[in-house]
Amino acid sequence: MIKHVHWIALLPLIASVVILLGSRDNTEKSRLPLLGVAVMGWCLLHSLLILAGVLSGRAEVPFYRTLPWFEFGGFEMTLGVLIDGTAAFMLVVVTLVSFLVQVYSLGYMHADPRFKRYFAYLSFFSASMLGLVISSNLMALFACWELVGVSSYLLIGFWFEGDAPAYAGKKAFITTKLGDLGFFVGLLLLFAYAQTFDLKMLPLHFQMGPGHMPAWVPTAVGVLLLCGAAGKSAQVPLFVWLPDAMEGPTPVSALIHAATMVAAGVYLVARTYFIYQAAPMALEAVAWVGLITAALAATMAVAAYDIKRVLAFSTVSQLGFMMLGLGVGGYTSGLFHLTTHGCFKALLFLCAGSVIHAVHTNDMRQMGGLSKKMPETFITMLIGAFAIAGFPFLSGWFSKEAILHDVYRFSPAMWCAALATAALTAFYMFRLVFLTFLGISRDHPRWEHAGESPPVMTVPLWILAALSIFAGLALEHNGIFAGAVCFGPAAAAEGAEAVAHAPNWLAWGAVGAFALGLAAAWRLYGTGDLSLASSLKRSLAGVFDILEDRYGFDRFFLALVRASDSLAAALYWFDSNIIDAIFVDGWALATRALAEVQRFFDDFFVDGAVDGVGALTRDGGLGLSRLMAGKVQEYLLFVALAVSLFATFIMTR
Amino acid sequence: MPILSLTTFLPLLGGILILFIPKERKDAIRWVGVGSTVAAFLASVYALTLFDPGLASPAPLTLQMVEKLSWIPSFGIHYFMGVDGLSLPIVLLTTLLSMAAAIYSMNIEERVKEYYFWFLLLEVGMTGVFCALDMFLFYVFWEITLVPMYFLIGIWGGPKKEYAAIKFFLFTLFGSVFMLLGMLALYFASNPHTFDMVELARSHAVFGREFQIIVFLAFYLGFAVKVPAFPFHTWLPLAHVEAPTGVSVLLAGVLLKMGVYGLLRVCYVILPAGFEWFLPFLVIIAFINIVYGALCAMAQTDMKKMVAYSSINHMGYALLGMAAISPTGFNGAAMQMITHGLITGALFILVGVIYDRAHTRDISAFGGLGAKVPVYAGIMSLTCFASLGLPGLAGFVSEFLCFLGAFPAWKLYTALSVSGILITAAFFLRMLQKVFMGPLNEKWAGLGDMNARELVSVLPLTVLTIFLGLWPRLILDIMNPTLTAMTKLFPSLFQSVR
Repeated sequence: MIKHVHWIALLPLIASVVILLGSRDNTEKSRLPLLGVAVMGWCLLHSLLILAGVLSGRAEVPFYRTLPWFEFGGFEMTLGVLIDGTAAFMLVVVTLVSFLVQVYSLGYMHADPRFKRYFAYLSFFSASMLGLVISSNLMALFACWELVGVSSYLLIGFWFEGDAPAYAGKKAFITTKLGDLGFFVGLLLLFAYAQTFDLKMLPLHFQMGPGHMPAWVPTAVGVLLLCGAAGKSAQVPLFVWLPDAMEGPTPVSALIHAATMVAAGVYLVARTYFIYQAAPMALEAVAWVGLITAALAATMAVAAYDIKRVLAFSTVSQLGFMMLGLGVGGYTSGLFHLTTHGCFKALLFLCAGSVIHAVHTNDMRQMGGLSKKMPETFITMLIGAFAIAGFPFLSGWFSKEAILHDVYRFSPAMWCAALATAALTAFYMFRLVFLTFLGISRDHPRWEHAGESPPVMTVPLWILAALSIFAGLALEHNGIFAGAVCFGPAAAAEGAEAVAHAPNWLAWGAVGAFALGLAAAWRLYGTGDLSLASSLKRSLAGVFDILEDRYGFDRFFLALVRASDSLAAALYWFDSNIIDAIFVDGWALATRALAEVQRFFDDFFVDGAVDGVGALTRDGGLGLSRLMAGKVQEYLLFVALAVSLFATFIMTR
Repeated sequence: MPILSLTTFLPLLGGILILFIPKERKDAIRWVGVGSTVAAFLASVYALTLFDPGLASPAPLTLQMVEKLSWIPSFGIHYFMGVDGLSLPIVLLTTLLSMAAAIYSMNIEERVKEYYFWFLLLEVGMTGVFCALDMFLFYVFWEITLVPMYFLIGIWGGPKKEYAAIKFFLFTLFGSVFMLLGMLALYFASNPHTFDMVELARSHAVFGREFQIIVFLAFYLGFAVKVPAFPFHTWLPLAHVEAPTGVSVLLAGVLLKMGVYGLLRVCYVILPAGFEWFLPFLVIIAFINIVYGALCAMAQTDMKKMVAYSSINHMGYALLGMAAISPTGFNGAAMQMITHGLITGALFILVGVIYDRAHTRDISAFGGLGAKVPVYAGIMSLTCFASLGLPGLAGFVSEFLCFLGAFPAWKLYTALSVSGILITAAFFLRMLQKVFMGPLNEKWAGLGDMNARELVSVLPLTVLTIFLGLWPRLILDIMNPTLTAMTKLFPSLFQSVR
């Protein structure tokens, strides 16, 4: 099974090309999208079998296989697969969410005039994402990383007739690309010292200890790779693109901007964890970036009214948690959260999509009371909210608990901040659910019109809901996840020991945070009486302004864009008015003027006096001036002159 | 069979044939013109099949398919043609782009006969430059490109065509005068006097360091104008904007490569000490080309001018790779020549496509064309992504190799140059957004998608762009042995940059 793992990335790629070019009919009538769904179903099955093989020990991991790609100088670049426990889990997360989202999209996108192309893009995304997961070397990973960015660009801007999606797609691409510059330089630095990108060879270079490479190199590489990860995984300060990315179709938000692509940054840090192990400072930077992101994003989620933007901020915040987990040394807990988050965040987005599909707005102020109209969506979304908020024994509880344990071990102060963020998570999630589904409808025509979505959309919801409930328990049971996903045996033992040593009351902290967040949300939004919420908002207007302004990060980047535009304009002015006009044209004009002066001198002073010399000077002057006037024939004369000079020189020697 | 001469002079044959066709028979002229470029392309493909990449050795130049005849015996001038892994891919690029441009140019209505005559003569010059191994012959071919280009821009160009043509002409002439001086200096310094590049490369040791530096500078002026390297680049945006589409394709796709090729073939091999002396300047120029070129491109509202400035940026990558003096960097620089030729050639065709319909190239004059002309939008987007260095497309591999090669030698400048990637992405995406996205500008409601002529001319380039991106060894296997051997020529030089 695992021998054919490369097909998991290749088949969706082929499918996307076939779907894109296979038929002229772009609408729902085209049957080609079903090919994409079928291929993804196969990929899911294959991934599950691989995971089963890895868990049962039948498949030997890490599975590593490469083939030569190209050679340059004495180096060889390879393409290949490297499957370990982490990659096996990641494959399942990606294929599972991809498959469910594709099925759901059959319903969600049914009336779209570019229905077929949408599925081509989705398959292309899955192919690049799966390629990223299995790649055995960092250059191929980077290549897939960029392709994932392109599919995100195409899908955010899928409804490109609107200005907002077009702008959002560009913003996402450029912002992540800014982070990728760091990634790119990191790769260059890595190669300069290790001479390879191979993920199997690289760890050896970092485990050789001091003396093999300068001590600053691992730290620098770690921080540079973190730049790339921060862009893709929407960490501070590069998170600004993700809220805007919600302009894309909602299933896309669920797949790319919640469950899979945005987790790629976390995956990158995990995949290159050996570098961070050699660079504690870089690892601590990961932790701090994660914590700050988690906290800031959670506060911003509180102030948002767009249902998808609340979820987007929530995603940013949860990605921060994952980074935090990895950063404090919790390799397993960070990735555990990545896995469970994939399930419940996809669920939440698809539920939000179901709501948007019914009421045709993203604004929660125009919703309310929808639980009666769409009970299935309501219940599944409630499950998702409980899972992400950390209700005991649901999947999010296990993974968040694990992270909090690791954080406490690292620094109790950071643990406090993380706990407060967990409370905020519960608060904004239930605020969302209550505002949407409970109370009275605040826009009656929309409420009247709303109805439950078709089974093709609700069945994926139930599947994801089931996973949101049970995935944590199933994977925690007997330490299945920790057994398969760990960074070397030493780290696993250390982790188990530390959990055992953590105080017992620690678990109550998370439950308390959950209860606090839920109670506050209920008091403010759950009862149908929003007067307290609005008076609170009025009295804290200053705070809300800052939150709605996203702490000014957007304005900062806009100013950066304007500054570079001004710089570009200034340089172009310099290019055309200084370099070109003065140095080039000015020089030409000066030459021409000189020729004129010479002619003048000729005519008035020399003329007739020294015939031979005068004639020569005049011809020279005229020749130059004619040349400047554009007589190409003169040029041939010039070459002839040069050659004859040359010939004279030869013969006189 | 003298396959290189055949490749070079088949277009001349076509050009002469065209002279005998009455000028009213435009279609006949067009087909003979296109046919000759196709014949030259096929000949070059045949040359590729004869080529053995493995033959490269650290001797100065290991050449294949050599043709050597005495031409002007009293000065020891030979008709000396041959190719290696550096020049053969560029010869193929030249014939391919000429073919694409000739096909695209079939919509020219004005003075068709002269157009195709000059066009074919231009191809002769371009192909010859990359095959010639005698300095004198090299110079002759070099100058042959100049005159047809002057007329092609000056007659079939845009509103400011005369100014653009004479500027191009004088600028290049300015450079080649110095090149001529450099050639003569080499000739007289060598013993026995020779123009033979292989001989000159062998005898570089007898040239003193100061002599090499001065002669290097003379050659550099000639090549830098073509590259174009800052600050000798200002002819390029103007010439590109004014030139007709087919000519822009060759100007960007092939003529710029003459500069980079010359630096590698002449300056590096024959004047290593001069090259070494110049390296710190070269890397700064590369950096300026990359960042300054990209920023100037970002300031443009004219699509064609934007693509023109982006060429300055892309040639900066090639200079950066060259400054590495490592197999990786040389591979990058050489491959960058090919990928830039394919991608930017395609971009110029695509800009021409929309200009032919809308008679404007103003980026903000459009809007929402994506749904109106999906095929065009698709190919244009793909080509723009290739140009901004998206992995999976050809530009990425070559840029990556340039950076990878240059980084160990020039950490700071390489790291700073990486920002060029971001700026390139910014202006290409902005163009895509303004032209294809947003609400449809009703003015263009009647715009038609690409026609067969346009597709036939651009698709080969697009397909190769994808193919080389996925399977770069297709070209690297040809280049790598030669370029690796070249970096082994001067071990001390290789060490000195580290």
